[in-house]
Amino acid sequence: MILYFVTILLLLALAPILLSFMKAVKMWLLYKRPISLLQGYRDFSKLLSKETILSREASAMSQVAPFLVLSPLLIVLFYLPPAVKGAYYVSFVDAFTITGLLALSTFFLMLLGLDSASSFGGMGSSREAFISALVEPAMVLTIFSVSMMAGDLGIGQAGVNLALHFPKEHMASYLFAAISFFILLIAENGRIPVDNPETHLELTMVHEAMILDITGLYLAIIEMAASLKFAIFASLFATLFLPFGMEYALPIALLIFTIKLFIVALAVAIIEVNTAKLRLFKVPNLLGIAIVFAFLSLITFYVLGA
Amino acid sequence: MPFAFKIDPLSLLFVFLILLGAIPNLFYSQGYLSHIRRKAHYLIHYFTFIFSMIGVVTAANGLSFLLFWELMSLASWQLILTEPEEEGVIPAARFYFFMTHFGFIFLLLFFLLISDGNLESGFAQMHNIAAHFAYPTLLFFLLILGFLSKAGVVPLHVWLPYAHPAAPSPVSALMSGVMLKVAIYGMFRFMLDVLYPWPLEWGILILVLGALSSLVGVLYALSEHDIKALLANHSIENIGIILIGFGMGMIFDALGLGILSSFAFIAALFHTFNHMSFKSLLFMGAGSVLHETHTKNIEKYGGLIKSMPITALSFLLASVSISALPPTNGFLSEWMIFQSLLSSNTISDMSLKLAIPFAVFALALTGGLAIACFVKAYGINFLGLHRSANARHAKEVNSLMRLGMLTMSGVVISLMLLAPAFIHLFDKVLVADGRVGAYDAIFPFGIWNMHSVAINGGVVSPLILLISLLGVTLLLAWAYRKLEPKRRLYRTWACGYRTGVRTQYSATGFAGPIRRFFSWLYKPKEHLRKESLAGHESKFDSSSYDVHVKPLFERSLYEGTARLANWISYWVYRLAHFEQTRYAAMIFNLMILVLFSYRIFAHQFSWATFALESVVMVISIKVLIIGDKR
Repeated sequence: MILYFVTILLLLALAPILLSFMKAVKMWLLYKRPISLLQGYRDFSKLLSKETILSREASAMSQVAPFLVLSPLLIVLFYLPPAVKGAYYVSFVDAFTITGLLALSTFFLMLLGLDSASSFGGMGSSREAFISALVEPAMVLTIFSVSMMAGDLGIGQAGVNLALHFPKEHMASYLFAAISFFILLIAENGRIPVDNPETHLELTMVHEAMILDITGLYLAIIEMAASLKFAIFASLFATLFLPFGMEYALPIALLIFTIKLFIVALAVAIIEVNTAKLRLFKVPNLLGIAIVFAFLSLITFYVLGA
Repeated sequence: MPFAFKIDPLSLLFVFLILLGAIPNLFYSQGYLSHIRRKAHYLIHYFTFIFSMIGVVTAANGLSFLLFWELMSLASWQLILTEPEEEGVIPAARFYFFMTHFGFIFLLLFFLLISDGNLESGFAQMHNIAAHFAYPTLLFFLLILGFLSKAGVVPLHVWLPYAHPAAPSPVSALMSGVMLKVAIYGMFRFMLDVLYPWPLEWGILILVLGALSSLVGVLYALSEHDIKALLANHSIENIGIILIGFGMGMIFDALGLGILSSFAFIAALFHTFNHMSFKSLLFMGAGSVLHETHTKNIEKYGGLIKSMPITALSFLLASVSISALPPTNGFLSEWMIFQSLLSSNTISDMSLKLAIPFAVFALALTGGLAIACFVKAYGINFLGLHRSANARHAKEVNSLMRLGMLTMSGVVISLMLLAPAFIHLFDKVLVADGRVGAYDAIFPFGIWNMHSVAINGGVVSPLILLISLLGVTLLLAWAYRKLEPKRRLYRTWACGYRTGVRTQYSATGFAGPIRRFFSWLYKPKEHLRKESLAGHESKFDSSSYDVHVKPLFERSLYEGTARLANWISYWVYRLAHFEQTRYAAMIFNLMILVLFSYRIFAHQFSWATFALESVVMVISIKVLIIGDKR
């Protein structure tokens, strides 16, 4: 039980660091002086002390929605598969609940974008609705495939099963599912090539456009939600697709888990540096690849058993 | 007895559904009444409508079923005509009348066949006749044509987006929330009790129809600007989802997997109840908005959350629920349907196993698009600035209408909180119908966790989810209060320009990316009008952009049929009236054909005469009918 809470606290603490790490790697690769890993915390503390400016055009939704954006993600944190062998995990939650909770968070984020009567907010919500509608089928199919390889739909049990019994005999479909899930990780977290988290150009922004009118503590909450979402996806990738090194003693196993998270972040950062952001109407092609890989994974599992 | 009624558990369940849908509606309807001019006409048909639906689900023989079915259709048809002077109402009512009787013909044929012409025979006798009927697939097709044209399943769904918006809002809520479910009752009753042992293919057909309907419904809902037509399209989607569950139940049953089949049927029943609750609530909310703003056009709303908080809150609850987001009841039933699709990995038929992921894909895409659609519907209606003077002058509706909406919200919430009790109820009904019970497998360790009945299936714990979501949100809000940040009100930032009504995103704009991505399906008609200044392309005073999407099935199937009939009648008319020689020649040739083919029926066929007669026929057709080339 202690391990369970330690993992959750670790993820909470690491979430802003992971985002700063990605940014630092990108700056370093572009020969800029990288930012500190603690930049996320600095931003957070700055936002805490700022005053909150509410839009005059906005309604009560703007004051409620930020909490509803964050709380599903906080709950998902408790439902993740164990990072260390023998740790407690929640057995009564399956992958659908997790995708549902993520969608709930996105739902309120999109409403938040529409609330302040700004054209930017509407633009962001509209694009986010488009992208997340196409992410959904790929996500469900990937879950379906992974759950069959893991032998359980419950997400915690699936992580444990994969760690105990690495699916060597299903390597092909496992790999396809991993590719699909990685694309979804990029799309759901709004990283290049789907969305650029660092731009405020109206042609390209998606996530930033929705939250353009939010300041102060509310912005801190939303930023926290964004970093938590990345941490959740990275942790899911680490526990479901890199299920090794969990049987060591406690500090080493946690260290390995942390390293896995940073490896995922590094991979995302390297992709971000090396690709250009796609036009919005080219994004479905990328998500189509994810859908096709998810189908391929299912079909290879069924037909070839590989 | 010409008319017979029987209340068995399945009937009782649907009576319960009708009452759950109708009682909040009574309050709402009472509040709405001041808006209606032909009050007596409205009230008579309103109560006849509710009464006839109860009659349908309690009928015990073909005659009473058909009578009340027809009464239900006619009463709802008259209810659509409550305000006949409004634009589009009469064509909508005519279309509804035609479609509902199109289905009725098939139902009548079905009952005549299944009861051997004796419409007074009960369901048990029908089952005997069906068991010895030579072509059971014919019965199945008559049945689905009859019921699914009422339920609004592709391709017989075209009337819904016309009929539901034309009716007064309480009636739309009843029609969409309850009447469509009566058709689902028909499916349950006659598939489970009468046509029982079914082949696998029937289940697959239902599954395919369900998957298609769900996608088509949600896609056209996204392109819709009329709030009630949008909701009507969502009814098509949700009926599709119910049928996916029903089809999976049939498939599992045909494969002999009793408990999985019960699970899928329970999922379908649960979604039937859920759809009744949130769709009624959505129609009531839309009706309140319509009542206050006097327009159905979504682009004219905006900012209504400030003036209509209760409507906005109940609409939000229903939107979250219909988008299948946890922890609502919509999520739970869609979760069950997903689980029953996912338990297809245990079946041995490889081609079926490979096909079901496509249904999973359709259902998941539907879910994603439904979220997009309800963000649009909610965000454009209730958030932002008022988009028109109508919206600016809107006030909260009267207390009776509010009471109706709150009661319906209560139904939604109770379906969420009491999900185990409802599932127990559905399970009991199915057990009474001779199915395998699944309740103990769904809730093996108390009511907290809901399990899929498949081996290694999923688990969900609705109550824990609800409590934790509420708890964490309240904790966050409390922490925010404690921190007490300084607050200032200021204008929305818009690059230094003023934020105005017209700088907001419109519903058309919101659905833009999706409409563009699916433009191969929508084939939208776009009208762009600009008044440019001094001949500059890019400088203009005013511009208007308008896009209209005509549904594919209406464009191809319905208008195509109409055009074909027109074409045939044109040529027949032309032949009979202007080319009488050719007409006479055709009659002559037909006569020779009959004479010649007599040999075949008289068993005097020989190849020599056949060749000779063929030559005679060909020459006569060439000379007399086709004639010389001009």
